[in-house]
Amino acid sequence: MSAVATNSTSRSLMERLEPYLAIIGPMVMILAILLFMGVAEPARYFRLSNLNLILLDAALYMPMAMAMTFVITQRGIDLSIGSIAALSGILMAFLIKQYGFPAYVAVPLALVLGALMGLINGLIITRFKVPDLIGTLAMDLVYRGLALVIAKGLVLARFPEMVTEIGRGQIPGFIPVPVVIGLLTMALGYMVLKQTHFGRYTIAIGSSPEASEMTGVAVDRHKVYAYVLMGACAALAGVMLTGKLNAIQATSAPYFNLHVIAAVVVGGTSLFGGRPSMVGSLAGVLLLSMMINALVTLRIEFFWQSVASGVVIVSSVALYTWIQKKDRDGALGLLASLRSKEAQRMFRFSAALLGALILLLAIGAGLAVDPTPSG
Amino acid sequence: MTDHPLVQMRGITKRFGGVTALQDVNLEAYAGEVLAIVGDNGAGKSTLIKILTGVYQPSEGEIFLDGQPLEMASHSDAIAQGIDAVYQTLALADHLTPAANMFLGTELTRKVAGIEFLDNRRMKSEAARVLDERLGVRLRSMDVTTDSLSGGQRQAVAIARAVYHEDLRVLVMDEPTAALGPQETARTLKLIKALREQGLAVILISHSLDDVFEVADRVHVQRRGRRVGVVETANSTVQEVLGLIVGAPANDAA
Repeated sequence: MSAVATNSTSRSLMERLEPYLAIIGPMVMILAILLFMGVAEPARYFRLSNLNLILLDAALYMPMAMAMTFVITQRGIDLSIGSIAALSGILMAFLIKQYGFPAYVAVPLALVLGALMGLINGLIITRFKVPDLIGTLAMDLVYRGLALVIAKGLVLARFPEMVTEIGRGQIPGFIPVPVVIGLLTMALGYMVLKQTHFGRYTIAIGSSPEASEMTGVAVDRHKVYAYVLMGACAALAGVMLTGKLNAIQATSAPYFNLHVIAAVVVGGTSLFGGRPSMVGSLAGVLLLSMMINALVTLRIEFFWQSVASGVVIVSSVALYTWIQKKDRDGALGLLASLRSKEAQRMFRFSAALLGALILLLAIGAGLAVDPTPSG
Repeated sequence: MTDHPLVQMRGITKRFGGVTALQDVNLEAYAGEVLAIVGDNGAGKSTLIKILTGVYQPSEGEIFLDGQPLEMASHSDAIAQGIDAVYQTLALADHLTPAANMFLGTELTRKVAGIEFLDNRRMKSEAARVLDERLGVRLRSMDVTTDSLSGGQRQAVAIARAVYHEDLRVLVMDEPTAALGPQETARTLKLIKALREQGLAVILISHSLDDVFEVADRVHVQRRGRRVGVVETANSTVQEVLGLIVGAPANDAA
C-alpha cells in the first residue's frame, strides 16, 4: 500500500471521484467535441444522418473493445485483432463465394475460426511463455500473411443479404443492425464481467497473478479464454466490416488493434491490470468515432486522423496515470520538479538534439542546389 | 486441549538438491491451541509449513491428521483435509472487494435458466457475517476495493477466507504481524485468540517473540533445519527461547 502523505482534502475528493473517473474522463472529452463542433460546424455535424454514420463506425469496434477490456484487465494485450478480422472475413468470403456455403453457416464459421486464432494466441502466450506483446505482434504478421496468401490481390464483393444486414442493415425507425449487435455485445460483456467466474477471475488475475494462482484460480486457462473471446469478437468485426462495405480484401482492417486499444484505454481501463471499465470502453469507442467523424466533417485531410488518434491515446493515458498517482506533490509539484538537476540535464540533452537538427537543416539549406525531379 | 495431537509430523526430512533444509523434524499441534514456530532465517520454518500445507512434499517422514496418515500432492489436497494457510502476502487481489476476495476460487453461484452466475449479494452478506461472527471485524463498507483497507482488515479478510470452510481444522499463519503497526498487531493477535477459542489448531510463524509469548501456548524452536526444543510459554521466558534460537548453551532448559 502506498504512503498516505497526501493532503487530505484533495485526497478525499479524488477518492470520491475515483470510481466514476472511467466514465467522467471520456464523457468530458465527448462533451468537449460536442461543444467544439457545436461552434465550428453545427449544421453538418448534428444532422441525424451524421449521427447514424458515427454510430455505424463505432458499432464496428464495440465487440472488439468489449473483448479487449477483458484482455487488458488481465494485463494482456492483443495486437493481432486487425489481421484476425481480415483473415476471418476472407475465409468467410471464400466459403460463400467459392464453395457456396450458405451465409447462416459461413458467418458462425467465421466466428469459430476467429476464436481458434485467439486460442492459438492464448496458447502461444501461456504455454510457450512468449510475451503477449511479441506473441500477438508476430501472429498479426502470420494472420495477415495468410490472408494475403489466400486472397492474393482479390477483392471479394457482393455477399448474401444476411452478411450485408449484419454490416449495414437498418431497423426501420430505429438504429442500424450493427449498432444493435455492438451494444448487445457490450451489455453481454458487462454482465460477464460482473456476474461470472470468468469476469471475476479476469480482475483477480490482472490485480495479482500470484494471489490468483495461490487461491486456486486457473490463471492460464482464463487467460486463454480472454484471447479466444478476443479472437471471436475480432472475427465478428471482420464479418461486420465485410457486410458494411459488401467487400473484403486481405489488407482490410488495418490499425484495428491500436484503435481498439486506444478506445479501451481512453475509457479508463487500466493498462496495469485489475481495473476494467466496460462503460468506459463503450464511451471510448464513441469518443474515437466522434473525433474521426469531426475531422472528416471539418474537411481535414484523412491522414491527420492517425495523428489525432495518437495524440488522444497519449494524452488520456498520461492523464489517467497522473490522476491515479497516489502520492502527488502539492500544486507546485510540476514546476518544482522542472527545477531539479535531473530535469535540467534532460532539458540540455533535448536542446542539444534540437540544435543538431537545426544545424543540419542550416547546412543542408546552405549547400542546397537545384533539385532534380526524381522520375 | 486434548491429549492426542490433531496434527503430527514425524521424522520430516526435506532435501533440495544437495541442501538439507529439514532434518528429522517432529511437530505436534493440538486442537484449541496456538503453536508458534520460531527460528532464525534459514532455520526451516517456511519449508516445514509448506510441507504441512501440501505445497512441498517431504523427502522422508510422515504426516498424521487425527492419527490417520496424510498423503498430500498439492495445496488443494491440504485444503480438502482441513489444513489451510494465510500467507504473509495474504494472497489478496487488491482490486476486488473483500467479499470477492474471500470467495476467490470458491465463488457462490446461483443458476438462472440453467446458467451459473455469481451470487454477489449472497457472497457479500456471507462475507460480512463471517467477518463479524468469527473474527469480530466490521468493515465500514463491503463495496470498497481491498487495497483501501487497513493492514489488520486485510488480514481479517485473508483469515476469513480460510475459516469460511466449515471443516477447517488447522490454520497456518506465516508472519501475520510482520508488516503491521502496534495497533493492528494487537487486533491480529485478538483474531488468533478468537480462532483458538473456536477449537482450531493455529500454527503461527513469527519473528516477534513478544507476539509469540502474547498469543502462543507452546513454542517450537527450529535451528539449522532441526527442532531444537519445544517449550510451553507459561513455563518459559523470552530469554530461554532466544537461547534456543541462537544455539547458546542452555542453562536450565530442556
